[in-house]
Amino acid sequence: MPKTAAPLAWAAFPLAFLLVVLVAPAARLVAEGWPADGMAWTVVWMPWQDDYLRWRLVWSFLQALGTCAAALVLGVPLAWVLARYEFAGRSLVLRALMLPFVVPTLVAALGVLALMGPHGAVVQLGGPDLQGTAWLLMYGNLFFNLCLVVRAGSDALEQVSASRVAAARTLGATPWRVFRRVEWPAIAPWMMSALCLVFLYCFSGFGLALVLGGQRYATVEVEIYTLVAHELQLEQASVLALWMLVLTAVVALVYATIERRLAAPARADLLPRRRPRGLWQRLFVVGALFVFAVICVLPIVVIAWKALWASGLLPGTESTAWRVLLEEDTLLALWNTVRFSASAVLLATVLGLAHALAARHSLWLRTLAFLPFLMSPVMVAFGLLLLYPSWSGNVWMLVATYALLAYPFVAKAVAAALDSMPVQYLHAARSLGASPWRAFWRVTFPLLLPALRRGMAFAVATALGEFAATLFLSRPEWATLTTLIYQRLGRPGAANLDSALVLASLLMLLTLLAFAFIEHADWREPHHA
Amino acid sequence: MLELQSIHKTWEPHRGERRTLLSGINLSVAAGQTVAILGASGSGKSTLLKIVAGLEPPDSGEVLLDGKVITAMPPEQRHFALMFQDFALFPHLNVQDNVAFGLIEQGVAKAQARSQAVDVLRRFGMHAFALSRVWQLSGGEQQRVALARALVTQPRVLLLDEPFSALDAELRVHLREEFRSHIAQSHMAVLWVTHDEVEARAMGSAGVRLQGCALQALW
Repeated sequence: MPKTAAPLAWAAFPLAFLLVVLVAPAARLVAEGWPADGMAWTVVWMPWQDDYLRWRLVWSFLQALGTCAAALVLGVPLAWVLARYEFAGRSLVLRALMLPFVVPTLVAALGVLALMGPHGAVVQLGGPDLQGTAWLLMYGNLFFNLCLVVRAGSDALEQVSASRVAAARTLGATPWRVFRRVEWPAIAPWMMSALCLVFLYCFSGFGLALVLGGQRYATVEVEIYTLVAHELQLEQASVLALWMLVLTAVVALVYATIERRLAAPARADLLPRRRPRGLWQRLFVVGALFVFAVICVLPIVVIAWKALWASGLLPGTESTAWRVLLEEDTLLALWNTVRFSASAVLLATVLGLAHALAARHSLWLRTLAFLPFLMSPVMVAFGLLLLYPSWSGNVWMLVATYALLAYPFVAKAVAAALDSMPVQYLHAARSLGASPWRAFWRVTFPLLLPALRRGMAFAVATALGEFAATLFLSRPEWATLTTLIYQRLGRPGAANLDSALVLASLLMLLTLLAFAFIEHADWREPHHA
Repeated sequence: MLELQSIHKTWEPHRGERRTLLSGINLSVAAGQTVAILGASGSGKSTLLKIVAGLEPPDSGEVLLDGKVITAMPPEQRHFALMFQDFALFPHLNVQDNVAFGLIEQGVAKAQARSQAVDVLRRFGMHAFALSRVWQLSGGEQQRVALARALVTQPRVLLLDEPFSALDAELRVHLREEFRSHIAQSHMAVLWVTHDEVEARAMGSAGVRLQGCALQALW
């Protein structure tokens, strides 16, 4: 692409979209919470003076911090095992690390309940019922975020120079001292960057906290939803939202500062992976994998097992919960989920592609693509409702919100692919007679397709599992699978829980199918030259 | 005849700091002549080729072809061909489609372009690989495909940017002979950029060195 006019042209659509769907609603949200003429500034401090609201803020902070600490302690050993050891099933574990990225929040929440809830597997095996404690939410948080820390850690460890490690060993350092004095300093900035993201996700988390937090351990986002949707306390909700925006912005700023300082990865001098030798090394590998299985895989396995059990399809079971799949409500929700998600992914693809192409030579444009990650779906939906009340009945507002949450995945994947694409391809095409547009269409675009597909796959997973904004913006006739699952969870009785489990399995299956279809579709797969 | 007149180019290593890369570059290359440009890494050889190809504009100076100023002409209209040290073969296309790429851009129908591409590949002894993916080829085979792709459109000027630097010494010597014969048949102006003086003397009917931002005639 030429460096002058073209990026601006590409940027116009995503920037206009961000302005209308994110920035303007955020500004409206701030204005709503900001003290107006004659209004006392004390209103802004109200959440810190009210015991109940202060606990919400403090707890949101504590649970995010606790998750960061646990993810670091549990994640670094697993990252080290994946980066340094070669063992059977390693590639499977690497693939499974993607699982939490595609599992809808509500499905994960149900998985945690199926494992540790009042009728969960742990209780059935004679363990304690953890309903009403903070452990359910912490476990759910870890399910989603441990993989993020492990991926960052193992990628960073693979960049550590083999010669530096060898030098440290020959200078007398034990493997542990090498980790402390050579490897950890090298990976620490990457880990801090990942932990900032973990903190942001947990601090502004909604779905998990709504289902697993209960009354005592719900987060600020849940409180905002309750104030808006059930108590119509818009002013109080706005002040809370204002504080969330400020606190999130501070962490986002720290994240951006760390990211700016991260050196470009160098892969010149790699440490070869080796097979674990001796009892201790084998135990270390098994222990790390056990932690991974318990935290990241078990909830999915349990929910699948429970759903199969609840469906009545197994011999000896009498449940007829599978019939929920044939109900009119379910079919409508399935149709809504598919059509909203498909429209949103289409829009997200165009937005993400345009943004990545525009941001190729511009750091500030690239940073803007992360804005939707920094503002929670609850905030976006609340801001949209405040700013465009007359559009609340328009289905395109819901689709636009889905697209807003999904398109950074596309932009991020395509931008990374553009970064790694040798400029010579474009030069060769131009010198062979291709105009800028033809060079894009015949060379750049086909080479971007794998990354585009990867980004689209994550966008699909985001859209299919979207729950927070849907709860805010949806109307009864727009019920999706996530809202239907939530409805069933809210009704008493084991039959409703069984139905929710079956619906959650359907959603999980739909997400995995869509993900696999897009990620592995046999299009013209470019390989390395 | 390709001519460069008083080409000047600066670059910005750091924000607010400008350094001269090329200054007062004058050069003429007649049709059928190969001029070798020698120079150390970072001396501006590749930038000079990009200016000739139209991929980068000079700060001042002109590029002329047969007496006509083409400095502002977009690269796709110049009808030149540029070869890179890493070949820059398109990984999403097979060998035949890589070679046919330029023909299709010239408006040749796809089927005909492919058939012409196979004919050219035959000249290079590469027709058996027409349907292969480029990553399945060895370095020497990829280099032959890159030259076939460059020559198939019968460009007026061929620009080569260290074409053999990624190859081993034995293959380099072998390909030199092969390239010399193909280039001689095509009768075009050739600019051959290299940092290897042996290669430069073997390929260039004239040689210049790019040093201190300026060109010095060597032979």
